Amino acid sequence: MKLNPDERWDLIDSIASHVVTYGEYRHTLKDAIGELTVKPMTGIPIAIAVMYCFWSVFGSFAGTLCTDGFFVKLFDGYWLPWLQEVFPGKGGWLYSILIDAGGMTNGEFILSDNCFEAFGVLTSGLFVAIGVVLPAIVIFYLMLTLLEDIGYMPRLAVLIDTVLHKIGLHGYAIVPTILSLGCNVPAVTATRILETRKQRFIMMTLLAIFIPCGAQLGIMEEVIPGLVGYVLLYLVIGYFIFGFVLNKIVPGKSPEILIDVPQYQKPMMANVRRKLWMRVSSFFKVAVPFVLLGCVVVNVLYLVGFIQWLGDLLAPVFVGWFGVPKETAGPLVAAFLRKDLAVAQLSVIEMTQYQMLSAVVLVSIYFPCVATFAMMLKEGWKELIGSVAVLAVVVFLYGGIIHLIGKLLGVA
Amino acid sequence: MAEKNNFVMICIAILGLVTVSFGLADILVSAGGDVTGLSILEIPGDMFRGGWGGLIVLFAGLFYLSGCKNVAEVHNASKVAIGSVLIWIMAGTDIFAMITESIPGGEDGPWFNSLSGFLGTYAPPYAPAIFLLPFSLVVVYYILKQERAR
Repeated sequence: MKLNPDERWDLIDSIASHVVTYGEYRHTLKDAIGELTVKPMTGIPIAIAVMYCFWSVFGSFAGTLCTDGFFVKLFDGYWLPWLQEVFPGKGGWLYSILIDAGGMTNGEFILSDNCFEAFGVLTSGLFVAIGVVLPAIVIFYLMLTLLEDIGYMPRLAVLIDTVLHKIGLHGYAIVPTILSLGCNVPAVTATRILETRKQRFIMMTLLAIFIPCGAQLGIMEEVIPGLVGYVLLYLVIGYFIFGFVLNKIVPGKSPEILIDVPQYQKPMMANVRRKLWMRVSSFFKVAVPFVLLGCVVVNVLYLVGFIQWLGDLLAPVFVGWFGVPKETAGPLVAAFLRKDLAVAQLSVIEMTQYQMLSAVVLVSIYFPCVATFAMMLKEGWKELIGSVAVLAVVVFLYGGIIHLIGKLLGVA
Repeated sequence: MAEKNNFVMICIAILGLVTVSFGLADILVSAGGDVTGLSILEIPGDMFRGGWGGLIVLFAGLFYLSGCKNVAEVHNASKVAIGSVLIWIMAGTDIFAMITESIPGGEDGPWFNSLSGFLGTYAPPYAPAIFLLPFSLVVVYYILKQERAR
């Protein structure tokens, strides 16, 4: 059936009369609150409060309740001593890899007294995966899902749009950025939300370098609770400085966006449950094998003397340029497999507080973990090579700058 | 009606001033780095709860003050409601922290806390936001009542 223009308008009028309700629009309290959350003057304080709530609940649930409250006791008090007791071949290479790498004092093999120091696959590996990362990831994704389903995330995107345009991105870049705080792997996929190759490259590079994952945050909260704020401060500053530089040197366009901001609404628990399960389970499919594999590879590298050799080789750079002990070479190698594991390893190396801060920032900005690396490769090998080149420059420059700041403050 | 509005305005303004004072006290105490206790009131001295938390309490007070004049108008009511939401965030996170501390039995203790230890965690002193919580609830109740009547 072919309609002339008049008939089309008649049809439109007829449909509209059935589906459109006319009346006086009344500005509701919900509308007014929605507006306040996107205006910078009022929206920024609200965003600060939301982030505060996010981190406070994260720390209380994952750190105080789950890890410190129960898992440390379970793993250090029961699991580790039991395995140390029943597993045969104390001091042997299999024992070192699976249970406890321990230490030698006066030619005698000394067992570790906690799972952070043991570095065995079945001790540190399981403790990190279940005792630290699981609660951190569950609460992180629960909070993120609630913020999404309430309708706060699009408002945060609008609020931060102007700032992110300065680094060549737009408001929606907040989605991969916050997802990345859970795990870099889905965040790399989420960069597809950005329109141009330039934006995707900048986002992928920045999240691989400057955004610590939930597992790493969980470990940092556990082993260096007093320094987490400073580490994040250094990372946020680096995110914007290097984002600004990348925006200037990377060719391509950064278009504007049009966001549909929905009304605030009550989240549906069934949706929250489904999303949470999907995210946590996919994280664990990726993370747990890498944590366990990471333990094996790092232990083997220690046993064959590779870490010692690498530490000696890189000592001038680590000690002279970055201002950290040469022993941090080992955790940096481990960081390629799992960054959370690397932070745990750093915690047992003797160093000053500022050296610890520098070392943790270095681990964070150093090479993305191998799972993220594989994901970036899937997005394009040219982008991956570009990101790695940027990363090498950033690690060298930023590591040196942090050391310099410490020297100027008299703390390094 | 006008008299009632004036009364509400004065109440919210007082709440705003008290909230601003608590926020400033939080920031100043955390800048000093020590925990300050005044009987049942405790101002945290750490950068996170005292510094950032204090800033949020300060913002809440400013929201109350900016919306207290003619709270019957929807835009002003929304500012006051946001002020209350910020107080809930602060008080809610403090209460949640207490709950998570009260359940485990401690490093060398049993798996779960004893009843006296559990209840003891909820004893005073409290952070300023917890004292502001009941007042913020009353304010929001009033605003929602106004919204329904509109």
